[in-house]
Amino acid sequence: MERNTMSYKTKQFLMFAGPAVILFCMVIVIPFAYGLYLTFTSWDGVSVDKPFVGMANYVSAFKDAYFWSSMGRTIIYSAFAVIFVNAVAFALAYLVTSGIKGQNFFRAGFFIPNLIGGIVLGYVWKFVFNRAFVAIGEAIVGGTVPSLLSSTGGAMFCLILVSVWQYAGYMMLIYVAGFMGVSDSLKEAAMIDGCTPAQAMRNVTIPLMRTSFVTCIFLSITRCFVVYDVNLSLTKGEPFNSSVLAAMHVYNKAFVYKDYGTGQAEALILFVVCAIIGIAQVYIGKKGEVQA
Amino acid sequence: MLKSRLKQTIVLMAFLTMSIFLLASCGESTGDEPTGNSDGITIFNSKMEIQDQMLEMAERYTKETGVPVEVYYSADTVSAHLATRYASNSPYTLSMVDAKDVYSLAEEHAVDLSDEKWTGDTQYAISIGDKVYGFPVCVEARGIIYNKDAIEKTTGEKFDPAKVSTLKDFKALIAKLKKGGMESPTGVLKEDWSLAAHYLAQIYEERDDPDAFVRGLSDGSVKLVKDKKFNALMDTFDVLMDNNYAKESAISAEREVTEQKLAEGELAFLFGGNWDWSVISAYDYTKNMGLMPVPQDMKDGMNQMLVGGGSKFFFIDSSENTSDKQRQQAKDFLNWLVYDEAGQNFIVDDCALVPAFSNIDKAVGDPLGASVKKYADANKLIPNYNYLPDDHYAILGAQFQKYLAGKSDRKGFAKDVETYWKTKTLTPHEN
Repeated sequence: MERNTMSYKTKQFLMFAGPAVILFCMVIVIPFAYGLYLTFTSWDGVSVDKPFVGMANYVSAFKDAYFWSSMGRTIIYSAFAVIFVNAVAFALAYLVTSGIKGQNFFRAGFFIPNLIGGIVLGYVWKFVFNRAFVAIGEAIVGGTVPSLLSSTGGAMFCLILVSVWQYAGYMMLIYVAGFMGVSDSLKEAAMIDGCTPAQAMRNVTIPLMRTSFVTCIFLSITRCFVVYDVNLSLTKGEPFNSSVLAAMHVYNKAFVYKDYGTGQAEALILFVVCAIIGIAQVYIGKKGEVQA
Repeated sequence: MLKSRLKQTIVLMAFLTMSIFLLASCGESTGDEPTGNSDGITIFNSKMEIQDQMLEMAERYTKETGVPVEVYYSADTVSAHLATRYASNSPYTLSMVDAKDVYSLAEEHAVDLSDEKWTGDTQYAISIGDKVYGFPVCVEARGIIYNKDAIEKTTGEKFDPAKVSTLKDFKALIAKLKKGGMESPTGVLKEDWSLAAHYLAQIYEERDDPDAFVRGLSDGSVKLVKDKKFNALMDTFDVLMDNNYAKESAISAEREVTEQKLAEGELAFLFGGNWDWSVISAYDYTKNMGLMPVPQDMKDGMNQMLVGGGSKFFFIDSSENTSDKQRQQAKDFLNWLVYDEAGQNFIVDDCALVPAFSNIDKAVGDPLGASVKKYADANKLIPNYNYLPDDHYAILGAQFQKYLAGKSDRKGFAKDVETYWKTKTLTPHEN
């Protein structure tokens, strides 16, 4: 059997990668290309003809003040959410690998929020913020207490809190794997050399877990940037559209305000921003990776 | 050698079969959706609350006439959902849409219905140019919902909504209610559609020439703070706002809670429409409720009228995906809704809607609908202004919420409305 021919290689490729490539093209590449094409038309989403308008959609996307303010909010939201998700996840992972009683149970418990869909989770938390917290607050203070969701800063705080609650368990699993991947002998060696446990953590364990950090931060950044479900069911952009994140604005622009081309162009800008941040982060993170 | 050949063939065959399944499964997903040139009609229903009744009716209709009817519902935005159907070349024979969708879709996608008999029996059909495209499903109107039982019990006097038409009357009644022990007699829905698409829209609708007014806003010649109608309606809104049971947390008040309080008599007034009945009727309600015009200090007679008109419209698909036979069947179905007793029963009794046709004189069951019918029959409906831009309710709804939360005053809100309109280029339309 000749293994160096083109036909053999093609066959091998098709056999192993074929199904995945076909699927990938159908659900990612083709829609993406078609979407890109639509950004150059002034299609309203329903009409038969799609008039070509060149760069007009990008111009109006850049001029759309609501889009940029939602983008700014997304960046603030993502910054806080990413930091807290990873801090909490790391702390949890440390706790559930430190040999406490029932740690498998806790691992499962912390992971469960991630299994609840974002929409349901948003409604559950909305109830907690609007009813439960208000009732508790009123019992303590005595008077009427406004819901956190009704103030502009409060709504953003709620969004971040719920995201941390949702994602921390998932990221925790990756950190758990990271902790388990660091050999005990290295830590012991460090301790014998006179490290305190905190020093061993900082100088041995964390550098060796760099891959986990890169993965987790990448995943949380990309997820936070395009969050929609929790945004929709928890705040719906209220109050006064002050909690509309970028993905929600893009959806509204395209489908609710029927400005399909501009919405699609804004979606593309969001994608580019997200991709740049994600890739830059992975690149910087990988550069300093150490092998044990 | 032979063995490896065989193995390879098997793997290749397996791969091919899998790909076929893959493709087949992609094709199949459209299998349960309306098919092109066949017999029978497909109906898109965009009114969630009547979906069960629609399904049941479809079955009965098929039994009665032999025409297969399939009903579909989607929670998506109407235009977005229809867009996907048109993109996949499988539109519905009959689509139920909102008025603004008829204006954006009809010329490309709808059949001219001018020759239908029912066009003579309704004033709510939508025409573009000289062609009738939209069949009105029902009439809906908005105003102040009142709970008569609660008012009479608290004040100890008879309540006649017709006698409360000026703001002075309204304030006096609210003072009486407060004296009688009802601390906060009103509720305000904080939803952007209620504030901007319904309440704010009145400042355009309640005048002789809404188009001219909107044009004035757009070119900056209208100054809202000096506008009588705007001030009159905002004065009334201030009264609703000041007596709101959730005054401190107006923008986190939930619609269900507010309507429950109204249904059970804890509140006396709420700005809304007859669609609110579907929420109110879920609670321990009284039948002694109704809709009255928004009280205001204007002498233009608008405080004697509700705002409303046709709501939800059917149009028939004109593309080649629908056969002439199907189009005829769809027309027959629309006639059945208007002229057949079973069709009339369906609209009025089963769905509890207010019929949009003057030949239907069945009594409407729910009290809010009955109020609407009363005003509609007396020709006391101010028509809806259906030409607001699509983002109007969301952007100005947010600004109105700021006003409701006390984060902006009337001057600021007026400026927000003016600023919004200045950025809009108006699309020309025909009336």
